[in-house]
Formats: sequence, structure tokens, C-alpha cells
Amino acid sequence: MEKNLIAELISKFNGGVANPKEIQAIEQLIESGSIELDQLIVLENLDQQVSKLDAGSPSRRLDDQFYKLLAVERNHHISKTTSIPKIEWGNLFPRFALATSFLLVGLVGGFFLKSPTEDTSVKLLTQQVGELKEMMMLSMLEKESATERLKAVSLSSDMNQVSQKVTSALIKTLNSDENVNVRLAALDVLMNYAKDSDVRAELIKSISIQDSPLVQIALAELMVALQEKKSVSELKKLLRNEKTAKEVKGKIEKSIDVLI
Amino acid sequence: MLKVRDGAPDPLGLLFERYKKPLYGFFYGLTREKDLSEDLVQNTFLRILKYKHLFRGEGDFRAWMFHIARNVNNDHYRKKRINAKEELEDWQDKLGHQENSSTEMQRADEHQLLSMAMERLPLDKREVLLLSKYQEKKYQEIGEILGCSEGAVKVKVFRALQELKEVYRQLEKRM
Repeated sequence: MEKNLIAELISKFNGGVANPKEIQAIEQLIESGSIELDQLIVLENLDQQVSKLDAGSPSRRLDDQFYKLLAVERNHHISKTTSIPKIEWGNLFPRFALATSFLLVGLVGGFFLKSPTEDTSVKLLTQQVGELKEMMMLSMLEKESATERLKAVSLSSDMNQVSQKVTSALIKTLNSDENVNVRLAALDVLMNYAKDSDVRAELIKSISIQDSPLVQIALAELMVALQEKKSVSELKKLLRNEKTAKEVKGKIEKSIDVLI
Repeated sequence: MLKVRDGAPDPLGLLFERYKKPLYGFFYGLTREKDLSEDLVQNTFLRILKYKHLFRGEGDFRAWMFHIARNVNNDHYRKKRINAKEELEDWQDKLGHQENSSTEMQRADEHQLLSMAMERLPLDKREVLLLSKYQEKKYQEIGEILGCSEGAVKVKVFRALQELKEVYRQLEKRM
């Protein structure tokens, strides 16, 4: 339909003079999109008034009802997400059987296909743990607390193999730690490494440095146990020292007798 | 709504706060009963929860919601059909009383008159006008709700407005 005819139809409708046939034609034009509803001014005004009609607001009753519903739904949701699924043994049995067979195959396969690099890996790991322990022990020996230093010394006693760093640190502790118990503990650990000539030499040197009777006696006993004749000169130094206790001197004399 | 669909019920509270008034207006426009309209709003949200998995998230939530609301309203009237005759008689009595009450008519302003005219429209015409109002004239989405084309919706709105205009004029004459 021509634009002019459409405009005429709209004009007639807005003027309230459109006949039923023309209204039918307008309907067809609306359906096809040739006429928009807002072009029909009378109806558009009415439609706007309908849009402005206020139906009011719902009461609190609706809110109460709805939020009760929501609470029930929330609880249902929580219980659904946290509930433990019911175990159906009948269904689980074939799964267990399958899992067990896979495990057995894995174990057998693992036994025969044992990787040659596995031992190396374990050794490497053990070595790394050992190094870590050493680091911790050396760090703890520097602590002010005597208890911490004692812990450090006992930690080194758990080690199968120790580096020179550790033995040096223990010897330093034996010679210079202010606490007698720590020094005795260090000596106790060092006994394990007395086979090492360097450690043994350091132990001999330590005899004349010590001022504690307990450590002096412990060292003298160790020398006897080790049958270390080189220690005699150091032991004699203690005998000559005026500060050495009489009881210690007696013990040292006996030790020298045994060693000679 | 997508969060509600995926299992979290809390966001439904937000949707409720946003749409309770338009939904209530829609039902009130159809039923003219406050308590019933509130119950129908509640039923609509119950169905939204029940059928949340059917919301695909592609279209407009409001259109989907009004589609459900329309079904809730239809189901309500289907259940009430047994008493329909009785209700119709009550409604006619009520209408007759309103028509005869000249003082009430005189007091009625333009909005009240329009409201009364709306009340006298057949249900399908009232429904299409309410959907047009609450769906903000999105005729394509109203078409999805009603199951017809956008053009057909426009024609329905045209016819409903034509009839509303006629009823309004008649009421105006009687004032």
C-alpha cells in the first residue's frame, strides 16, 4: 500500500472516522509492520494511561511467605551439598574387585620393572635430608640457649655420617662452650668419630684447654679407652696446672699409668 | 537467574525484590483480589524454583517469568472452573451494584474509570494489555509468552485498546 494511503488511514483513525473495513485494513498493516501502534494517537494515549495505573504494592505477607520458601530451599540446598552419598555395597563390590586387581598388577609390575635409577634417587634424597639436618644443627649451635645447643648436639648424634664442618663445630663447642653439659654432650658425640685421626688429634689438644673437672675426667677416660699414648703429654700438663682439682689429678695419674 | 539455576537459591531473593511488584500488578490486574494476587506471585516463584533447570539463559528472564506467571494464572482459573458460574454471578452482582451506584461513579476520577474499564475487558484482552505494560512493550518477547508472532501481538494490543476505549466511553457517558 502506498504511503499516502497509509497516512490517510491513520489520519481517519485518529479522527475517529475510520469505518470497519478501514479498521480491518489498519490491523493488517499493523501486523505487517507498516503501521506502528504509537502512530495511532488515541490508542497510544490510552495505552500510556494504562501504563500509569498503579496496582499498589504487595503486603508483608508475601515477603514472609517468600522468605520462608527461600529458607526451606536454602536448607535443602545445604543438606544436599553436604550429605554423604548412600553406599550401595552391591554396586561397590565389582569396583573393589577391579581396583584390587589393578593394585596387584601394579605391585607385581613395579617389582619386576624396578627402575635402576630408583636407588640413586633415594640416596640423593637421603643425602639432601642429611645436609638439611647439618644446616639446622650448625644453626642451632649458635643459639644463646644452652638447651638449644644441647638439642643441636644430640641432633648430630642421630646422623650416620657427618661432614668435617660438623666435627669442627663439635670440637669448637667442646673447647669453648660456656656450659659444661653442652661440652660433655659434644664430647659424647665426638667419641663416635674418634677413629678419625684429625678428630682424635683435636681431642688430645682439648685436654689441656678444659677447666671443668667433669670434662677433664671424661677426656682422660676416653684416652684410656682409645689407648691413645699421644695424649700423655697433654694429661701431664693438667697435672702440672695448679688449678686442676686434686680428685682430677688422681684420676689423670691413674690414666697415665694405664697408658704408659 | 543463572546462579539460581546452577543451585544457589539466595540470588532468587534479588529477583523477588525486583519483580514482586510488576508480578503482583499483573495478577491484580487480572484478578482484582489482593490476597489471591500475592498467592499467585508466591506460586510463580515456587515454579521458578521448580523449573529453574529449564531456564536456558539465552532469553530475557522477565519474559520467562511472565510465561510462568501466565500458566500459574491459567491453572488457577482451571481449578476454579467448577465454581465459575457462581463466581460469574457474584461478579455480575458486584458490577451491577457498581453501575447503579451513581455516587461512586461520580467520585471516580480518570484513573478509577480506566481501572473499571480494564476490569470489564475480557480476560485475554486484559492479559495482553498487562503484558504490554509489564513487559515494557517488548512485543517480540510477549509473542514468545503468548506463542504468536510480534505482528499478531500488536494486533491483539490494538484490538484490546480499541475495546478498552469503547468500554471507557460507555462508562464516561453514564457518569
